[in-house]
Amino acid sequence: MAVELRPPAARPDRPPRRPGLGDTLRQAWREYRSMRTALVLLVVLAAASILGSLFPQEGLSPQRVDQYFADHPALAPVLERLGLFDVFGSAWYMAIYLALLGALVACLVPRTRALVRVLGSRPPRGGDLARYRTQATFTTPAAPEDAMGAARRVLRRGRYRLAEHDGELAGEKGFLREAASLLFHVSLLVLLVGLAYGKGYGYRGQAAIVEGETWANARVGYDSFSPGRFFGAGDLAPFQLRLDDFSNSFYPNNTPREFASQLTALDLDGRELQAQRVAPNRPMTVEGVRIFQSDYGYVPVVRVTDAKGKELLAPQEVLTLRDPATEWSTGAVKVTNAKPQVGLELTMFTGLATAPDCPGGAPFCNDPRLIRPVLVVLAYQGDLQADRAQSVFTLDRSRLRPLGDRPVLLAPGQSRKLANGMTVSFTDLKQYSVLTLARDPGVPMVAVAAGLLLLGLVPSLYVTRRRVWVRAVPDGAGGARVELAGLALQGKPAFEAELARLAEQVARGSGGLKPGSPEDRGTLDAPERST
Amino acid sequence: MSPADLATTSDTLAWLAVVSYVVAATLFGFEFAYRTRWFGVAGVTVTVAGLAANVGAAVTRGLAVQRVPWGNMYEFSIIVGIITVTGFLVWLSRRPEIRPLGVFVLLPAVCAMALGGLVFRVPAGPLVPALNSRWIVIHVAAAITGSSVLCLASVFSILYLVKERVERRQRPPAPPLVAGAARTADRVEVDQAVARHASVWSRLPSADTLDHLAYRTTAFGFPIWTFAIIAGAIWAQAAWGRYWGWDPKETWSFISWTVFAAYLHARATAGWRGRRAAWLSIVGLATLVFNFYAVNTVIVGLHSYGGR
Ligand code: HEM
Repeated sequence: MAVELRPPAARPDRPPRRPGLGDTLRQAWREYRSMRTALVLLVVLAAASILGSLFPQEGLSPQRVDQYFADHPALAPVLERLGLFDVFGSAWYMAIYLALLGALVACLVPRTRALVRVLGSRPPRGGDLARYRTQATFTTPAAPEDAMGAARRVLRRGRYRLAEHDGELAGEKGFLREAASLLFHVSLLVLLVGLAYGKGYGYRGQAAIVEGETWANARVGYDSFSPGRFFGAGDLAPFQLRLDDFSNSFYPNNTPREFASQLTALDLDGRELQAQRVAPNRPMTVEGVRIFQSDYGYVPVVRVTDAKGKELLAPQEVLTLRDPATEWSTGAVKVTNAKPQVGLELTMFTGLATAPDCPGGAPFCNDPRLIRPVLVVLAYQGDLQADRAQSVFTLDRSRLRPLGDRPVLLAPGQSRKLANGMTVSFTDLKQYSVLTLARDPGVPMVAVAAGLLLLGLVPSLYVTRRRVWVRAVPDGAGGARVELAGLALQGKPAFEAELARLAEQVARGSGGLKPGSPEDRGTLDAPERST
Repeated sequence: MSPADLATTSDTLAWLAVVSYVVAATLFGFEFAYRTRWFGVAGVTVTVAGLAANVGAAVTRGLAVQRVPWGNMYEFSIIVGIITVTGFLVWLSRRPEIRPLGVFVLLPAVCAMALGGLVFRVPAGPLVPALNSRWIVIHVAAAITGSSVLCLASVFSILYLVKERVERRQRPPAPPLVAGAARTADRVEVDQAVARHASVWSRLPSADTLDHLAYRTTAFGFPIWTFAIIAGAIWAQAAWGRYWGWDPKETWSFISWTVFAAYLHARATAGWRGRRAAWLSIVGLATLVFNFYAVNTVIVGLHSYGGR
């Protein structure tokens, strides 16, 4: 604890007593709230966090966790039992940080009490000034009272709190350090509480909306949804979102420049609430829910008719998966009412170019800009096994065989015949936007705590605690011999010079040094320096 | 000048800066080893020239890409050079006696820059949309400054450990005499013994001074690092809708923060002051370096801007 400058005077010896359980507990408690415990727990917390970055985390990249299970089938279940795929939500991680929080609370209570006590008391007397390590002495022609007056002025200007103990002036400063340190630690506590509160009562989810569509904020509308522990089913704010337009652009070197959704929020009756262009770093807030631009993709609209022109598949919006590296999108169409069933694998290029126009002699390449969209269709025939759960983006080809020997290429508006006489039409092309929706009611609390934490941190590192005592005695020739002594808790190396400067100011304030006096400089006794 | 010309100029200036710093570090090294003032003065001159080239490299890069020049690891490396060297020069102007330590300040900066130039160099280009925010200016600038300063603090902790070992070895077996005069004589003897058997390492400032230096530097860097993390959280809140998500980059920043907080506590804890605290600071350095190099390149996360 940094509040007491010196250990309290030794108590008179008590008769020795066998330590009981109470003493052991008290000792353990004292040990728990000591800085050593905080230090050890901080190191343990850091070490535990490393694990969270070495293994893929469920909350961050579930696909990579699945991959890990596939790669290490024997090891992965063991790691999962140990919580290594969800380190930051695991019981043992929680135990470490709760222990640290407990230690924090346990040390803050006595620290606060000690600070209040010290603030309420007067700076104590220095006693025998000769025993202090840092001191300065000089003689001045001024009378002792005048020298003391000067010292008072100098110390007050130096923002010392002063007290007078018969003939001795005691000054003390730097409580801001401890106060700021307390502010820092309390803010840290509040920050962590706010974090837990926001996590418990908030949620986060992703939804995909196709251009022109209106999406309702309901659990079923989300492709992924992770609610906090205390988030109730009825807590979703009642609103709808309409994606009026989606646009994306690229730099000349084909790296993405921007992508944005023009969104309109509606209430459940369809009245417009607000409209905004949502782009990365430019979210929209509706009823306390923050809406972010996450991703996007293409939605070719495909129609299939049989050889006689009968419609097998009414114009269908096919959601495709976009590969951000190449900007190709892949998807699948399942024509279950054809006999035999027909599956189409779609690859959509935004700007397909072939051999001579591609860099590095590649046979084909893609321009990410939507300049010449082409849908490449590979057809299969057989059993789609549509009654089994499967991805909407791919076909299960285990009971399918190719239909025709070459892919069919379609530009928007075009139709082509497949080998079995069916016609595939690429009737329209839309885009979809993937939005992240999140609500975190802990944000204001965390933000305020973070601000106060920073505010407390700087003075807690830079303000230094000092005590200074001044005494002036007649030198027997009409002047005064002035003694200064001091104690520094922090910044000790600088303190000697500081005290010398104080002495100089007091000397100047009381009419200068006595000419010819043996000490016309502050003598600094510093047998050993320590930091 | 066209953007391409500017980018080329920037690359040339960056290498010029690296070469200047290597020369300056060598000169400071000579001053440190042979105590020849001339080397140090020349070292400062070359450092200033190198800094000018370094700033020029950053400015031309910024003009070439039309944004702040700290958007990828190569650019970070250039900025690290500016911050470290500027810091060193400012500090030198206040305490000229630290000049021979320049070799220990410049060498890490040179390594960072050379590594950036050799391994992580990317042609001048724009930012991906997710990085395109005014917070990149604040967060990334604070992160580079904070981590540079904290790395420097660790360098002082390493020097402290070296010097502390030298002092421990050279301490006379018997405790110093009590009487003042006798003790003074004793010290002179010890000094002579030190001068006779000294390795260059004994020319370092006293272990106490280095320990204090390490502490002061950490106390300067720690709030900046704290601010960088908070600014990053604000940015993450704006860009990804969550201020904290245990992304590997965030996790490692938190680890570094925790380790340096432990260091600050250690310096106020009996039994940890001194050597153990210094080791904590070195662990902190390791986490910063890992975060910058390994996390950007090896571990996959949202912060995958390191990219080559
Ligand atoms: C939760 C994690 C904690 C963090 C991140 C943290 C951080 C810090 C920081 C940055 C300082 C300033 C260091 C300085 O003044 O030199 C500090 C000081 C201090 N901390 Fe903590 N702290 C934590 C927990 C604790 C706990 C649990 C205790 C109680 C045992 C504690 C007791 C202290 C004390 C007494 C100081 C003042 C030291 C001094 O002024 O020299 N801290 N802490």
